Amino acid sequence: MINRRTFLNQSGHGFGALALATMLHRESQAATSGVLKTLHHPPKAKRVVQLFMAGAASHIDLFDHKPMLDRHHGEPSDFGEHVEAFQNGLGPWMKSPFAFKPYGECGKMLSDVVQPLGDCVDEIAFVHNMVGKTGVHSQATYLQATGFQRPGFPGMGSWVSYGLGSENENLPTFVVLPDHRGFASNGPKNWGSAFLPASSQGTVIFPQRENPIDDLHAKADFVTAEGDRDGLNLLRELNGAFQANRPGDSRLESRIRSYELAAAMQLSAPEALDLSQEPLHVLKAYGIDRAGASYPDQINAPEEEEYFGRKCLIARRLLERGVRFVQIWSGNDNGFPRRNWDSHEDVKRDHGPLARGMARGAAALIRDLKDRGLLEDTIVHWTTEFGRMPSSQGGKGRDHNPYVFTNWLCGGGIQGGISYGPSDHWGYKPLDRAHPTQVYDIHATMLHLLGIDHTRLSVRHDGIDRRLTDVHGHVVTDLLT
Amino acid sequence: MCYHITGVVACRATDVEFTRLGTGILRSRFNRTLIVGLSVSLVSTTLLFGDAKRAEDRFQAEIAPILQRRCLSCHNEERMQGEFSLHAAEAVLDSGYVEPGDSAASHLLDVITPVDGKARMPRDADPLTSAEIEAIESWIQEGAFWPDGLILTELRVDNFDWWSFKPLRRPVVPEFKQNWGRTPIDAFVAARQRQAGMSPAPEADRRTLIRRVTFDLTGLPPSPEETAAFVADPDPKAYEKLVDRLLASPRYGERWARHWLDIVKYADTCGYDKDKLRPNAWPYRDYVIRSFNEDKPYARFAQEQIAGDVLFPGEPDGILGLGFIAAGPWDFIGHVEVPESKIDGKVARNLDRDDMVSNVINTFCSLTVQCARCHNHKFDPITQEHYYGLQSIFAAVDRAERPYDLDPEVESRRQELAAVIREATTSLEELYKEIKQAGGARLEELNAEIVRLESKQGIEKEPAFGYHSAIATAAETTKWVELRLAEPADLTGLSLHPCHDEYAGIGAGFGFPVRFRIEAAEADDEWMTIVDQTESDYPNPGLDSYKISIDLPRIERVRVTATKLAPRKGDFIFALAELQVHARGGESTDDLLRTAEVTSLDSIEAPVRWSRKNLIDGSWAEYENPEAAARLGETHAERTALLKQIETPSRVERRQQLKTTVETSREELKGLPAGAMVYAAATHFPAQGNFKPTEGTPREVHVLHRGDVQQPGDRAAPCVLPLSQGENCRLESGLNEAERRAELARWITSAEHPLFWRSIVNRVWQYHFDQGLVATPNDFGRMGAEPTHPALLDWLACEFRESGGSFKTLHRLIVTSSVYRQSSGHNETHASIDAGNQLLWRMNRRRLTAEEIRDAILMASGAINFEMGGPGYYLFELEKTAHSPHYEYHLFDPNDPASHRRSIYRFVVRSQPDPWMTTLDCADSSQSTPKRNETLTALQALSLLNNRFNLAMAEQFAERLRSETSVPAEQVVRAVEIIAQRRPSESEQQALEQYAAEHGLPNLCRVIFNLSEFMYID
Repeated sequence: MINRRTFLNQSGHGFGALALATMLHRESQAATSGVLKTLHHPPKAKRVVQLFMAGAASHIDLFDHKPMLDRHHGEPSDFGEHVEAFQNGLGPWMKSPFAFKPYGECGKMLSDVVQPLGDCVDEIAFVHNMVGKTGVHSQATYLQATGFQRPGFPGMGSWVSYGLGSENENLPTFVVLPDHRGFASNGPKNWGSAFLPASSQGTVIFPQRENPIDDLHAKADFVTAEGDRDGLNLLRELNGAFQANRPGDSRLESRIRSYELAAAMQLSAPEALDLSQEPLHVLKAYGIDRAGASYPDQINAPEEEEYFGRKCLIARRLLERGVRFVQIWSGNDNGFPRRNWDSHEDVKRDHGPLARGMARGAAALIRDLKDRGLLEDTIVHWTTEFGRMPSSQGGKGRDHNPYVFTNWLCGGGIQGGISYGPSDHWGYKPLDRAHPTQVYDIHATMLHLLGIDHTRLSVRHDGIDRRLTDVHGHVVTDLLT
Repeated sequence: MCYHITGVVACRATDVEFTRLGTGILRSRFNRTLIVGLSVSLVSTTLLFGDAKRAEDRFQAEIAPILQRRCLSCHNEERMQGEFSLHAAEAVLDSGYVEPGDSAASHLLDVITPVDGKARMPRDADPLTSAEIEAIESWIQEGAFWPDGLILTELRVDNFDWWSFKPLRRPVVPEFKQNWGRTPIDAFVAARQRQAGMSPAPEADRRTLIRRVTFDLTGLPPSPEETAAFVADPDPKAYEKLVDRLLASPRYGERWARHWLDIVKYADTCGYDKDKLRPNAWPYRDYVIRSFNEDKPYARFAQEQIAGDVLFPGEPDGILGLGFIAAGPWDFIGHVEVPESKIDGKVARNLDRDDMVSNVINTFCSLTVQCARCHNHKFDPITQEHYYGLQSIFAAVDRAERPYDLDPEVESRRQELAAVIREATTSLEELYKEIKQAGGARLEELNAEIVRLESKQGIEKEPAFGYHSAIATAAETTKWVELRLAEPADLTGLSLHPCHDEYAGIGAGFGFPVRFRIEAAEADDEWMTIVDQTESDYPNPGLDSYKISIDLPRIERVRVTATKLAPRKGDFIFALAELQVHARGGESTDDLLRTAEVTSLDSIEAPVRWSRKNLIDGSWAEYENPEAAARLGETHAERTALLKQIETPSRVERRQQLKTTVETSREELKGLPAGAMVYAAATHFPAQGNFKPTEGTPREVHVLHRGDVQQPGDRAAPCVLPLSQGENCRLESGLNEAERRAELARWITSAEHPLFWRSIVNRVWQYHFDQGLVATPNDFGRMGAEPTHPALLDWLACEFRESGGSFKTLHRLIVTSSVYRQSSGHNETHASIDAGNQLLWRMNRRRLTAEEIRDAILMASGAINFEMGGPGYYLFELEKTAHSPHYEYHLFDPNDPASHRRSIYRFVVRSQPDPWMTTLDCADSSQSTPKRNETLTALQALSLLNNRFNLAMAEQFAERLRSETSVPAEQVVRAVEIIAQRRPSESEQQALEQYAAEHGLPNLCRVIFNLSEFMYID
């Protein structure tokens, strides 16, 4: 019987990357496994797409309707206790600049700017009693992204990749689609592998760049397709000979294999990113049918729709090709003019267009996943670093609110049409302050759905058994189907 | 009857209490016990026969550890969270949570039993395991026996019976039993192999040896010429000569400094949000390189890094070394934008000290001290008190720039002047207080009235506050702001609208000039003075606009010049919300402003709040209630008049004197030579926002319950760590911050310190062999690994210590050993016994680090520039530095010769590390990296094949080969010699030549950079 290796050797110089890739794609049905050889319990979900709103998206202007603010708009705010606000933005109560309406069978109240998600609310579980630990963007972003409020810990996607491995080796296991303007607070440290193997780090894709993935292809005058093909064959020969003389070192074998995978990825990745294969109605649904449009400098809805929608569609293509974890960001860093959700000055100005763009793409993604039967084993998770205050800052803006904010989840084992853990009447703190939901609980729940007991996926690092949920976390069973 | 016996046993603790606590308490408790006893009269059969000893043992073995580990950090004698404690029998019984003999009625079990995986207690942590819950259940069911008078405290490891804490004693070197080995190291290794029935591998050939030891000591490959000379050297001491040459090379320090910087988390930016640059971090990096090259004694090296400024005053290295304490990440927002009084500010400072403490103790002692931030260390003898005691040693230092190369006299003058300014400022504050008191009740009333009126009436303002001048240190400073209209206008009036900013509690009238003049001009004509308010003070107008009517035709420019600035908080400014001009024809005013330009002597451009353009944005703060506003104006005026009265000539004179002292001292301070700066631990530096120097006064550090800044406990007392039972490790009380750090440095570096010397020789060993004698270099505690060769480790530690801590001597000792010179060849038999090569039956093959790969590629291509030191070079384009710098790696040109220096000199960005280096497992500068990961991924293959650096260097390598020979066959030979230090085989030669002929030399070079033989060292 001819095995793969002898086949490769026999085929010699004439063996093209295409044939190699096709074959490897078939082979990779088995895929690389993660450290969990067997899951802790039967999973409900296989993959995750996480939508991260950088700068702190306001729960009370999007998903957590507060009629009290409508009634008491403009009256001096009174929290009944001393409040520490990041920029002392404790002006009068401020109603949302956006109108709210009920949607779906569950009658969920949504703000106008996230209206497209109205179609999906019966799939979604909202969690309105999220609490953070800090009102500082950087630390809070770390907390939501990595479970720790300081640098040096692996992102959630890294933990999932590390635990479950890949469904398709020809694509990265964990893909990150940053905001088109640039990175959010902490940059790539939000998805770094830290002390986990580098293979579990997030691979950044900038779809709008000439090279969406760094180093996927060589850009130099002297590079040719034939040169690459023959070069890979030559490398295989020379590295094979080096390995043959050095038995007992599996790394040398893995290294040869890594070049085969690289060649396969060169074909798989552009194919996955090629939206020209999508029919017009799909492009329209995601709001990306205006090729070549140009946009003003200020945040505006059409631009948000195009860029966020594009990332959502790419996410779907990646997920259906076996990528384990996709993280999509909306919002750049906390600078001026505003380029993220940090609306200290004007909620309407920034949240309006950002939310419209996000909602259109996210709604299209949920519907599309559902149409393809993927939603049942894909978790969609919407998050941000903290919420915003029900009081006004400078008349039209809102200050940071780490005391309560909203997350939502849908798909893969999540019960739709529910709102869990209400916030208080103002949207200032959880209604039941003694029983808030923390990022650890969300992470524990998502890992649970993936078949992982969050207390058992750990790595010893510098004398401490580290895990995504630190020493905390409970599965929120009320969210499960 | 059963009750009787059960009662006696179960209530033993109660009996003891009787004498101690008195009858009242006993009665109530006894009643409860009585009821319990009756209701469970038949359960306690194990105790029926009175085996109290067994019950006590069981309590100690099963129950006490659960309570201590999981409950007592909150429910202890002192804290009694929820008014409930589990420290003693009476507390447990008193709580009503435990009904001895009836677990079903015991509320404790409800609280700890999880529902849906979540239990009420322990709060915010994993629930107890089912085995633990069962143990507690049966303990209660059997009568909740509690040993006589036993008081439990939170778990506290007090056991020093662990290898790394044992005193360091020089072990006897084993005798050589066979004809192998050159050094005592070999004797130790051979002895262990002999026990396991193993033998060492044969010596590697000379080509392998020179490649191995050159990379190992310098991080670079040997040249083909060096290789040839060494291979052919007939001198039996050829290898020793080679080692000496490499150790003497400046390349040695560059290689070994990189290891050190991995451990201490060095980077050239702060990390976190806004990841700001640290333009002066590099002098510390250069200091480390130089220290290795100079073979600085290790104890001295350590002392300089912890307390060099105290122990070696006047020596630059004493300050440069302090870059160590500042090397790790720092949260700009948490320090600069958030005040220390807020929770987030406290958290930031707590985590900042945590980084300093961990850096010192992880690096020098290999103990995971940071585990004790939230609770006593669960495995090692480190309590929270110890941990916060260490934090208090660093309670006065921050990370900031400080001069390192100054004349000590200049430095002491600088400190003197700072003290003079501090004292004069304090006296000024006292004087102000005195004046305030002189104002008596009326002044108080007026002040209160102003506050009342201001708070009563709402203020409407936009987030754009207005124009704000630069800050001045003296009131009598001139600042101006000017409006230039696009075309001349006939002006009928002017309005100056004051600002409103809560900064320093000022509020209305913020920055409104005390003395000023207003001028206007036609085109470029002379200024005409419209208002002259420069001779007397103008009272703070609150939010009342300053309005004047004029009749001036064809005006193009209007200027407001402040000649006496408004006080802020210890400094002076000029701010204005709006400068409104009224033109004839009224409606045209808006158009006029839209096209106007604003210029000023200076300006703080901090949009949205402050910007020149805010001066004409049509918005200013206004009172919502004009009536109250009028009253406010009157109150302000009365207050100003009163203040004038109480400012007597003597007070005015004293104030003037003090102000002059401050000003002249500041002037002199400015005139002192600035000196070269290093980013280091510092107590004196210019304030930036909320980030202010302590000037040496330690911040108060408390023991924080669960590490929470909102739950401070006792004040922490500065201490080091205990190394044996009962040792008093507190520092003498009353030491200042400098002396505290000096004490810590002396303690760590003492000749008897068992961890300090073991830790470092293990690190050095690990870098030479790619595996440590202890596999966990930052953790010598109970969660870490135990040494594979404890005697060898101790021998090396003693040898190193007695050599005076000379790294070069240690390297020489290790790399000249026979163990090091072994071949890395495989041995199936040995591998089947010891697959991990713990007994060193061969040398470990290792992959090059990211830096070695990059440097070797630069060297092969001939592009490398061996210039040493100085600011780091960028491998990215730097954009948007004002707020959050963007580090754009994809825009960088890899052909830029400035970037062709060794990798240790690159500018390391913490939040956005170089993607190419990261893919190749470079260290993450946010965490201490005592050992690099080694991964093999498809992305790595893509990086090495396609990254623009590899492509650019392949072209340069090809160019170099062409310049050395025009014969294709010779070019191939040369390429392989440079990359692999050997000649190609015949078949290799043929394949490579053919490839080069078909696809060109640059493609061949690119392929060669991807050879496993290039990436690995045998």
